[in-house]
Amino acid sequence: MEDILIASKVTKRFGGLTAVRDVSLAVPKRARLGIIGPNGAGKTTLFNLFTGELNTTAGTIHFENQPLQGLKPHAISKKGIGRTFQIVRVFDELPVYDNILIGAIAKDLHFTPSKEQHQAVEQTLEMVKLQDHRNVMAKHLTLSAKKRVGLAVALVGKPRLLLLDECMAGLTFVEIDEMLVLLRKINAEIGITLVVVEHVMKVVMELCERIVVLASGEKIAEGTPREVANDRKVIDVYLGDNKS
Amino acid sequence: MDLFLLQIGNGLIVGSVYALVALGLNLIWSITDIPDFAQGSFYVLAAYTGYFAVTLLKMPYLVALLCGMSLGAVLAFLCERFLYRRWRERLFRDAARVQLLVAIALFFLFANIANALWTAKPRIFPSYMEGSLFNFSYIRINVLISAVILFILVYLFIMKTKPGKAIRAASMDPGMAQILGINIDTVNSVVFSLGGALSGAAAVLVAPLYSVFPSMGDLPLLKALVVVILGGFGSVAGVLICGLGLGLLEALGAMYVSSAYQHGYAFFILILVLLLKPKGLFGRV
Amino acid sequence: MSRANKIVIGAVLLILVTIPHVTSDYIVYVVTLAMLFSMLTASYDLMPGFTGPLSFCPAAFYGLGAYSSALLTLNTGMSFWLALPVSTIGVFLFAIVVGYPALKLRGHYFAVTTFFFGHFVYLVFLNSREITKGPLGLGGISPPDSILGIDFGSMTAMYYLILVFGIITVAFLFTLVHSGVGRLLISIRENEDLAQASGVNTAFFKVLAFSISSGLAGMTGSLFAHFFRLLHPTTFSWMTSEMIVIMFLVGGSGTIIGPIIGAGVVTFILELMRFAPELRFIIWSVLLIVILIIEPRGLAGMYYRIRRRV
Repeated sequence: MEDILIASKVTKRFGGLTAVRDVSLAVPKRARLGIIGPNGAGKTTLFNLFTGELNTTAGTIHFENQPLQGLKPHAISKKGIGRTFQIVRVFDELPVYDNILIGAIAKDLHFTPSKEQHQAVEQTLEMVKLQDHRNVMAKHLTLSAKKRVGLAVALVGKPRLLLLDECMAGLTFVEIDEMLVLLRKINAEIGITLVVVEHVMKVVMELCERIVVLASGEKIAEGTPREVANDRKVIDVYLGDNKS
Repeated sequence: MDLFLLQIGNGLIVGSVYALVALGLNLIWSITDIPDFAQGSFYVLAAYTGYFAVTLLKMPYLVALLCGMSLGAVLAFLCERFLYRRWRERLFRDAARVQLLVAIALFFLFANIANALWTAKPRIFPSYMEGSLFNFSYIRINVLISAVILFILVYLFIMKTKPGKAIRAASMDPGMAQILGINIDTVNSVVFSLGGALSGAAAVLVAPLYSVFPSMGDLPLLKALVVVILGGFGSVAGVLICGLGLGLLEALGAMYVSSAYQHGYAFFILILVLLLKPKGLFGRV
Repeated sequence: MSRANKIVIGAVLLILVTIPHVTSDYIVYVVTLAMLFSMLTASYDLMPGFTGPLSFCPAAFYGLGAYSSALLTLNTGMSFWLALPVSTIGVFLFAIVVGYPALKLRGHYFAVTTFFFGHFVYLVFLNSREITKGPLGLGGISPPDSILGIDFGSMTAMYYLILVFGIITVAFLFTLVHSGVGRLLISIRENEDLAQASGVNTAFFKVLAFSISSGLAGMTGSLFAHFFRLLHPTTFSWMTSEMIVIMFLVGGSGTIIGPIIGAGVVTFILELMRFAPELRFIIWSVLLIVILIIEPRGLAGMYYRIRRRV
């Protein structure tokens, strides 16, 4: 199985601060990869390097064997990488339907949206279970619904890789379970590769087949959930020296 | 060579005026994220106040200067207290834009009030000091010296006093400052009043050199905005350097390139710098 | 578009078409001005209303279109019918050059830069005496050459010409705003970062909106030049930009009809206050502040607010 995303010795420096140092990882197609680490480990910076919001100081990133360096976020998005944001983003004053429609036309602009595009929006609405909310203005939704809108906007563009930045933050246990079902479905039925940054351990352990651990900008461990959970270095970095 | 030095001197003097107005703008912008265009009109009204203080009330120049500064401070304080503050919490998306538009409206409002009250006819501000040094009148030299003194005073205030620390904290992180117990209401009032006083000072210092008329604030406002954007936020020294630098650039440009488009140099510099560094030269925003 | 809207538009058009036959020359003149301002405000709306960034220099592009069209016809003998598209396209291209670097700036920086640019252009108009005659005014501009036997020297003919261009402009903007491009512009306004992450080339579309908006302002300028036949730099100062902003706010942003209403309302108040020009600007500024306090989204905003309550 070939790798859909390959990061090779990626480094990002902001002046004197090195946020990401020599991080390499390879994500196989259709995989579910988790990226975890304490706060400030560089996880979101790494994401921003993948999506083009930041440029690498050193190292390369390849998506489907094409280099991503120097590409702007919208170009990378068009290549087939979708993302959600840590602080949920929606098109506030537009109804849910229009929100998702933007995701479709952004990738493929016609004079007026085509029938196929409308159909794609319908399908995505069903998938994220927001059909009944199609005319509600995005800013009036609950947090969970907003997150699903954000996900839908990314999904409707038919990405092959989806980057999810702490998408479970702020959700109730029930909502987390629902989201897990949705994510598993996206991965299994549509075949979208998932790379997930998460703090909610239950999610990471249950969803991801493979986990990468970052701390202080470096990769300190990689493996299956079980391997990582038992890794001494990982335990130290999360719990510190206090054996509490 | 003589002409060259003369131009340098003029450039510095004009630049110090820009720097004064820019200092006030800088403080206000960095704490409240409002480019306070209204300062340009406080400038105008302060100049008229100083003018009338000297001509009608026969007050000595220093008193007129203080009157102008006070007027600027009071107007700025009132505008913040009763207008800008309404949108401080930024409860809706366009709140920042509303504040900007209010600032612009205030600028036009007061400038046109001056025009309506006193017409566009320039008023000659009587000279308050005779004599000159190296072809620079004492009045001119006084502009530069007074500006530098004011800069030092503001610098000491901001850096060495407790209220000054509060202001600095608020300029770095207003939300955090509030949590730590700093009264944002007071900080805003002080900063706006200070800005108004500085604009007023600049106006009354300059008035004897170029006369007083309603649109006298237009260009200094624009130049000051450029200085703030270039000089970066929260940097008193940066504002002074950029202000003087712009003044020098205009003076030398007028001499060597073209004097007709003297006022355009600020604009070109602005575009040039923003193209290369969209966050300003010292920029921290 | 709903049936009700179509009826209203039809009624308004009917009224506009009959005005020159039933009212005095003076009313025709005022309504012509209102139409010109409607075009300016509606095209201006494309930026802050639909795409997001607030620019403060529509008057500059209005003036660039006016002066270039006037100078082309005066100095090169070009026909108005060629000068109009030439100056429109010229202003459009110039706006791309100005807009591309300026739109890299966010928020206040962009607004301040456009404010500066607007004043700078005004200063150029004022000081280029050899070309624009500066404060003396550029006069002697001829009306459009006659076509189809119509003599455009008459006010009525110019009225109808501007009405036609007004309809074309509004129809164009309406189509644009409801097309795919329009939706993407709105997405930039709603959440620029999300739009970018979704694949929208925000830089490109912002410059596109700015240039179309400015190009249309330039076209309106050309029409104004051959209608009024005398150009003075103060017509294109930042006071005029302020007026356009007020019309935009009064009418309501983010709609096509809003700016037109705003322009109409404001133009009539403008004419009522013809007698006290200094007072006029003071009242403008107070009006602007009052609007911002009561309802920053203008009459259209108030309408939607009320409609939601009902």
